[in-house]
Amino acid sequence: MDPIQRIVCTWCGAQSPTAAATCIACGAPLDVKNVVSDSGWRAAPRLRDMTELRFGNSTCQVEGEIVPVAEITLGGADSIFFEHHVMLWKDQNVALGVMPLQGGVKRALAGMPFVVSTASGQGRIAFSRDAAGELVVMPLHPGMELDAREHAFLLSSHSIEFSYVRIQGLRNILLGGQGMFMDRFITRDAPGLLILHGYGNVFERKLAAGESILVEPGAFLYKDSSVVMSVETQKLKTGLFGGVGMNLARMTGPGRLGIQSMYHHHHTE
Amino acid sequence: MADAANYMCPWCKHAFDANSSSCPACGAPVDVRKLATKSGWNELPAIKDMAKIQFGQSFCQVEGNFVPVADFKLTAGDGVYFAHHLMLWKDDHAQITAMPLKGGWKRVLAGMPLVMTQAVGPGRIAFSKDKPGEVIAIPLNVGRTMDVREHVFMVATHSVAYDWFNPGIWYRTRDDKNVETHYPIGMFMDRFSAAGKEGLLLLHGAGNVFVRDLQPGQSILIKPTALLFKDTTVQMNLHFEYPSGIWNPYGTWSVGTVWSNRYVWLRLTGPGRVGVQSNFDKIDDLGHRLVDFEANATEVQW
Repeated sequence: MDPIQRIVCTWCGAQSPTAAATCIACGAPLDVKNVVSDSGWRAAPRLRDMTELRFGNSTCQVEGEIVPVAEITLGGADSIFFEHHVMLWKDQNVALGVMPLQGGVKRALAGMPFVVSTASGQGRIAFSRDAAGELVVMPLHPGMELDAREHAFLLSSHSIEFSYVRIQGLRNILLGGQGMFMDRFITRDAPGLLILHGYGNVFERKLAAGESILVEPGAFLYKDSSVVMSVETQKLKTGLFGGVGMNLARMTGPGRLGIQSMYHHHHTE
Repeated sequence: MADAANYMCPWCKHAFDANSSSCPACGAPVDVRKLATKSGWNELPAIKDMAKIQFGQSFCQVEGNFVPVADFKLTAGDGVYFAHHLMLWKDDHAQITAMPLKGGWKRVLAGMPLVMTQAVGPGRIAFSKDKPGEVIAIPLNVGRTMDVREHVFMVATHSVAYDWFNPGIWYRTRDDKNVETHYPIGMFMDRFSAAGKEGLLLLHGAGNVFVRDLQPGQSILIKPTALLFKDTTVQMNLHFEYPSGIWNPYGTWSVGTVWSNRYVWLRLTGPGRVGVQSNFDKIDDLGHRLVDFEANATEVQW
């Protein structure tokens, strides 16, 4: 095999050996073309059953296609962190710990997980969420910041910094459908692997600077931190008490925006 | 592979030159066999990811396969209407307004959406429903009318007329104190028709979708909440069955009337086409004593 030639993954941009069937960084099939809708949404690559991808000295195998499982084989000194209720099973010798979080009481009051757990040591541990959907595997290159809606996070490698940002503006909190906080994942000098779970199908588009689109707030899944979210209310006159309002999230670029097709509908006013 | 010059879609009967991989009227793939069960149900051909359905000068692209998205590109003059909570995203060009509906209070009381929203082109707008399942594309030819169970409707083109009616499917129970009326398929059904111009109707079925064409007088029993749609010629009535020899809530083993294990069926009688979904909601029937029901309902005690 020519050691120079590589295949570039159309989803995450990582390079894999020419003989690889799936991207070694995100698991996307390499033999399918980039699927983009006429309106510009890119479908997240449906990971083949039993696809394996690497991060650090560890691997992740994606199993199943309706409610997929991410099975991690931890190697070396690698560790991961996750919301504790998404753990499906583990080997006995995988050690569990708790990651210290700032603002724990605020998170608890906001309905976000109070405890983020860690797993380390050589062994296997697996994760899944309780709904049909897709795993979104996001290799984060150094210097990236990505925001995810609460409870979309499945697991992350230890090299990624975990934080959270308070959603700005009372209107965005009350009508934005995402609670008070969003999870924020940051890479400094080292790359890392982040896995989210999207309900239903997942689509992504890249917004140019100043470009915006209106989405159902419950459909928002993730965005680059450079994408700005604000809530707008569209008035619909019905003649019955004057009408109702439909709340929509305006997402303005630059940056990536990911949405899920099965979402929690947030009621009108 | 189908004959490119003379292909008729087995699902919607639209004839076209099958150079594309899917039917331009309903999105059904052309390169798959028609799948039918031995009992006579035809499985809805799942619309391929990114298949396009043409209507007027506009089109709808169906994206995804678990919880599919119906992504519309509307040209000027074309429009759609929809249950407003199904909108996934839209661009700034697509203008949305409320569509006037008659009988607002009755709809509210029946738990049906009060607001039907409409969007007009030019612009893009997309819809999805919050359950894994299939998008069902039904091209309505001029003169065709379709009855649809409540909360199944996704979106329809402007040329499709919308109405709703009381299907008269109900039964009444009584416990110690209260009398309760039940509507297993809802108090109202949606009715869509293409009067002067053909149109496109999109429904959402939870799980997998199956259809069959009932002959005149032929009938079948289905779970009421599995019903998706039917031709207007298909008649409906309730049917209650009581298994024998099972536990009676009043304290004895019984071969008589047993309220707690009642099966509530919806009988569909042809002629006409009916559609069902495999992921149906549980019927909220606590098994209280049946005191009244619609005139055509039947009972069997096994």
